[in-house]
Amino acid sequence: MPAGDTDLDEFFAHGVSDGLPVVPPTRARVSQALEASGRAGSELIAEVPPNYGRATVEKIAVNAVMAGCRPEYVPVVIAAIAAICDPAFDLHGVSATTNAPTPLLVINGPIRGKLGVNCGAGVFGPGWRANATIGRAVRLVCVNLGGARPGIVSMSTFAHPGRYTYCIGEHEEVSPWPSLAVEHGFTPDDSTVAVLAADAPLTVYDQRSRTAPDVLATIAGSLAVVESHKMTHWGDTLVVLGPEHARTIADDGWDKARIRRFLWERLQRPVCELVPGRDGGDGLPEHVLRKFPQPETDTTPIPKFREPDNLKIVVAGGTAGRFSAIVPGWSFARGSRLVLRKIASP
Amino acid sequence: MTDDYLDPTDSVAVPRKTAARPASLDGKVITLLDISKAKGDHLLDRLEALLRERARPKAIVRKRKPTFARPAPDDLRREIVGATDVLVEGLAD
Repeated sequence: MPAGDTDLDEFFAHGVSDGLPVVPPTRARVSQALEASGRAGSELIAEVPPNYGRATVEKIAVNAVMAGCRPEYVPVVIAAIAAICDPAFDLHGVSATTNAPTPLLVINGPIRGKLGVNCGAGVFGPGWRANATIGRAVRLVCVNLGGARPGIVSMSTFAHPGRYTYCIGEHEEVSPWPSLAVEHGFTPDDSTVAVLAADAPLTVYDQRSRTAPDVLATIAGSLAVVESHKMTHWGDTLVVLGPEHARTIADDGWDKARIRRFLWERLQRPVCELVPGRDGGDGLPEHVLRKFPQPETDTTPIPKFREPDNLKIVVAGGTAGRFSAIVPGWSFARGSRLVLRKIASP
Repeated sequence: MTDDYLDPTDSVAVPRKTAARPASLDGKVITLLDISKAKGDHLLDRLEALLRERARPKAIVRKRKPTFARPAPDDLRREIVGATDVLVEGLAD
């Protein structure tokens, strides 16, 4: 791609931007990024669905430079690309669906401090270069190597603003519990990135609850409408407990397993409330309905989430404010699952 | 600006092309692939009826993906490619 006076316009013309200006990927900048990765530029990390462009370290570095990453962020981007290209993540579906998901990155471990990843106040918002540019680099790879151009391959009806960038750190320092990464088999000294095919975050407001069951009942009420109030058998979804809510829950002696169990049990509805055409035209699919001879009166409980373990819990956000957040996953029964990868030290 | 920029895309990625369209459906094996979305069967039932009414296909074969959320499994793709002249993939909703 030749340099020119109107270099920024050129990137828009080539369709390789996300709609915002990009940092021109000069050889010098890309070389710095490659050096910081500690890997050969030709090393293949993954082929990126749905078009299966080859994500070599160099191609990832080019996109990371364009996104505005500092060179030392590149190992995180590489780990995130490996994670979204794991078949369990189903990037083909994520990038092509008419629904709205995009990879949300959750960073754990010491690298958060080293890179200045925001885990605290305004964790989903702007103002932090690491969060802003690492998430953006992943999006640019999805488009430039995966082919996920909106309206061409990516057919999302709405998408959401997280498709510009969507990256948080877990606020491990104020969490009463083991981190998301530790729960998935890593050590506290490992730096990891988790990727969830994620909808936009939904804030949960609860200022008055002072017990674990009270806080969690409020959160369950908001989880009940993930996708729609009649969606069932849903999969991985992130519950982001604000530090104040987390403290209230932990002070009652609850661990993450008990939280998950409480939410999962509370989020069940009887078949009779899930019949299509009653309180909304959607509802249980035909193959499930067939199991119940008289669904209109059947009270068999149907879970909103397939298993308690589908409710992934992290603590993040500022230490003031009695809020939590829900990040719905795009997680049909055979669909996308949360994937974690260790971030290699350069 | 004196430096060239590096390409963020993969120029060797194969561009997608649509298959050549047949001039007629007469004598062809047509596969109707239900992607497992709600009411996909309604759409394809109607399409099958119209095809039988308006053309003379050799056969109309019905297939179904396990889930709309993922690409069709390789064995299903191979089965379709080896045995069909025309494929219609049904979306619905």
